[in-house]
Amino acid sequence: MKARIHRRTLLKGLLGGAAISIGLPPLECFVNANGTAYAGGGTSFPKRFGVFFWGNGVLPARWDPTSEGADYALTPQLMPLAALKSDLTVISASRVLTTNSSPHLSGPAGLFTGDALVGGTVTRPSIDQLLAQEIGGETRFRSLEIGVQRSDQSYSFAGPNQVNPPETSPRAFFNRLFGEGFRMPGETTAVDPRVRLRRSVLDAVGAQAGDLRNRLGASDRVRLDQHLEGIRGLERQIARLEENPPSLAACRRPDAPPEAFPDVDGRPPMSAISHAMADLMAMALACDQTRVFFNMYSQSVNNTLFPGAPAGHHQLTHDEPGEQPMVDAIVRLIMGDLAYFLSALKAVHEGDGNLLAHSIVLCTTDCSLGKSHSIDDYPMLIAGGGGGALATGRHIAARGDNSSKVMLSLLRAMGVRAPEFGVGAGRTTDGLAGLSP
Amino acid sequence: MSATSASRWSIALAPLLAVACSDPPASAPVVPDAGVAQPPPTVTYSPPAPVLRRLTQSQYVNAIHDLLGDDLLVTRPIEPDVELGGSISVGAAGTSISPRGVEQYEALAYDLAEQLLRNEARRARVVSCAPAATADATCAETFVRATGRRLWRRPLADAEVTALVTLAGNAATTLGDFHRGLEYALSAMLQSPNFLFRAELAEPAAGAEPARFGPYSLAARLSFFLWNAPPDDALLAAAADGRLATDDGVRAEVERLAASPRLARGLRAFVTEWLGLQHLDAVSKDPTVFASFSSDVPAAAREETLSLAEHLALTRDADFRDLLTTRETFVNRRLASIYNVRAPSQTRPDGFGLVTMPDDSPRRGLLGHVSILALAAHPTSTSPTLRGKFIREALLCNEIPMPPVNVNTALPEPAAGLRTMRERLSQHQANPSCRGCHVLLDPIGLALEHFNGMGAWRPTDQGAAIDASGAIDGAGYRDALGLGQTLHDTPAFPRCVTTRLYRFAYGRHETEGEEGEVGRLAQDFAYGGYRLRRLMSQIATSAAFRRADGRSE
Repeated sequence: MKARIHRRTLLKGLLGGAAISIGLPPLECFVNANGTAYAGGGTSFPKRFGVFFWGNGVLPARWDPTSEGADYALTPQLMPLAALKSDLTVISASRVLTTNSSPHLSGPAGLFTGDALVGGTVTRPSIDQLLAQEIGGETRFRSLEIGVQRSDQSYSFAGPNQVNPPETSPRAFFNRLFGEGFRMPGETTAVDPRVRLRRSVLDAVGAQAGDLRNRLGASDRVRLDQHLEGIRGLERQIARLEENPPSLAACRRPDAPPEAFPDVDGRPPMSAISHAMADLMAMALACDQTRVFFNMYSQSVNNTLFPGAPAGHHQLTHDEPGEQPMVDAIVRLIMGDLAYFLSALKAVHEGDGNLLAHSIVLCTTDCSLGKSHSIDDYPMLIAGGGGGALATGRHIAARGDNSSKVMLSLLRAMGVRAPEFGVGAGRTTDGLAGLSP
Repeated sequence: MSATSASRWSIALAPLLAVACSDPPASAPVVPDAGVAQPPPTVTYSPPAPVLRRLTQSQYVNAIHDLLGDDLLVTRPIEPDVELGGSISVGAAGTSISPRGVEQYEALAYDLAEQLLRNEARRARVVSCAPAATADATCAETFVRATGRRLWRRPLADAEVTALVTLAGNAATTLGDFHRGLEYALSAMLQSPNFLFRAELAEPAAGAEPARFGPYSLAARLSFFLWNAPPDDALLAAAADGRLATDDGVRAEVERLAASPRLARGLRAFVTEWLGLQHLDAVSKDPTVFASFSSDVPAAAREETLSLAEHLALTRDADFRDLLTTRETFVNRRLASIYNVRAPSQTRPDGFGLVTMPDDSPRRGLLGHVSILALAAHPTSTSPTLRGKFIREALLCNEIPMPPVNVNTALPEPAAGLRTMRERLSQHQANPSCRGCHVLLDPIGLALEHFNGMGAWRPTDQGAAIDASGAIDGAGYRDALGLGQTLHDTPAFPRCVTTRLYRFAYGRHETEGEEGEVGRLAQDFAYGGYRLRRLMSQIATSAAFRRADGRSE
């Protein structure tokens, strides 16, 4: 968003640089007359990319649409998303072609990185982190990782073993986003001298690591460098406190969510937590605090007790006989929470569009049928069109095509000039036919 | 996914009881004998290169409490521990710090600096001089050198001191207060990789000698292994004056560390990761099935197991294999009611006390603890498979492959003729693609079927009698007590304890070139009567623990 209006510059011009305190209104007026872009440069609303992930798969017989194209009929497990049908593309029958050696883990590793697991971990960054490298530098947070199930695990990887643990407390997520350091569009620039001191501390910490770095072996150096990159990222984040906040009209400071979400009948209130997280993430994106997110709704192999379920989710996928009505109910519950999440993005108006339309959200899980851990017929939904870069409102039957093709299409739709995605059996140089408009 | 090791698939299941159990000689020395006094290991030892280790959560907290004062509160969240191959220690040597973690460490650093330096009594612990001016560089340098040496576990280089003093001076001038300035220097030290990571650095080797860790690296290796915490001032002094360069000096410091109450923290950190007790935080049970599994049970269950391990290994310096057979354990009122025993008459301040289970109790040792019975189970039921997997992996160090993909894994519902878990699990044994592994798991776990999914006793399963008999690698048993005795008697159990303690100490899985050293330690463990305190000292004083040579990856 290079055309951001720097009101500090503007005010300095007007008032000779004197420190002033003045409240400015949200800058809807800076949107151009067509309502499609910022004025003063013509750049579009920022594109956002996110992942919504849930564990333990689906029931393909109740998930996969049987008709293709725009007139496809929603299936029972997709029915909770009915109101968003025109915002979604359903992709069925794509396959993760990398080795399926580890139930529940090989699928997401192959999907998000295009490579098989090696030594129990990924070999390369996940797609969200690839995009964070490309588009994360302009916002306060390079990327934001959240979750609903309480866990430290995620598939958002900056590299081998370098997981980005999800924030699973709505209150902690609120504090990180909207606590100290957040300013509404129009609020004046921070003049607190401590902000500059914090930056100088981080600068010194980074500068002093050189001696240590020189004495480490190659793989440890990579790990230290990642820490140092985090230090520089925090420096940049603090530097933004000294700039004007982004001037997006839809930005609001939300109310703080409750401190705790206690269990109900011994079961975590997954939907209540998910809704609170959705509302916060929608505003994080609306306020341009980040453009990349990973929402780890539930873990692979999670054994969460969902409301009314007689056993944990993972146990049910394996032990429930027959057509697995209890597993079906859980998948539909999760799709309901996904619908809430996507609707929260859609409710944010941006120009004459909305936040969801300016985003691409990859919604997926760790296998198709949880009972057998199959990664053929991989379940994927693509929500939002990325500002017109992707076609929506249809079902694409990929007929066994490489799932990496989907990833490559998404990268390109986000504006990345990627010649290929994946390695070995996962490699592709082509996007998925039918996904572009 | 990082907790899983997909590449380590090989299954090594040598017959457990093929080797006769050798009793320790009656004359085994009671006082831990430092390894350096014994003949050098005859095995060839070729370790991989040293690793950079991140402080674990508990090490961070211990460092703050030991170095800055145990009245400082670490209440903010910090980067979670990561397990690799089932070990927090190995995970700490393979991971870095995420961007969110950097934010968390920063917020916590300022929080701790304020707690320490805005309270006069606490400040006096670390600031020994009175500032002559707002930006008194001399006084700031005194603080930076003394505090930095503790936090970074080595003396600071002059350039490092200058940079930190400059930070403190600029902040003091900006904020108009000397001590506020020090907060920024302290925050910088706490956010530095020199604090958050443990760099283990070699000294140049003399001649054909293998490279060894420098004295400060060795000091940190010793204290983090034995105390799960950084070196104290005395250990840093031993590093500074060259004592850690000699066998006698190392032995003397290890004896001092092992005699400290802080040894219990090292032992507890080891037992926690060995048995996976950290996962108790996330255990949930369906309250409609297990009404007595209240929210305080998981923490109490963990404390029971840790207390018993500490009691056997440190208080009594007993045969550590007794962990599997002892009638003694520690309970509070909550656990006493679950175990249906009288609450202890004498308790510690935390409400726990030592009890001895009655002779006819079905519960003896670890396999009767709520901690592992609840961990290795489902939210609404038992899981003989998970329990068998726990015994194979944690107690015998067998490696169990991942289940195959693309098989039907559904179990039949309870029905006529398929009432008990044993009957339902017979499915696993009938299907050839399941049988290979489940034959190793389910029969062992079925021995614990008298303990329900939260670890409480049950006489029947779905109204049917429970058959808890079985055999493990040819050795038969009638019930859980028999299984515990069988495991107690197999050499694979103490060998596995040795292996897991080695990984904890070294922060990595042993490689082929280290197997001889692990074998030597296991032999000494047996020779010394299976006393864990001695094994800890043996590792700490071994020549191998000081060697810093090795192939880099």
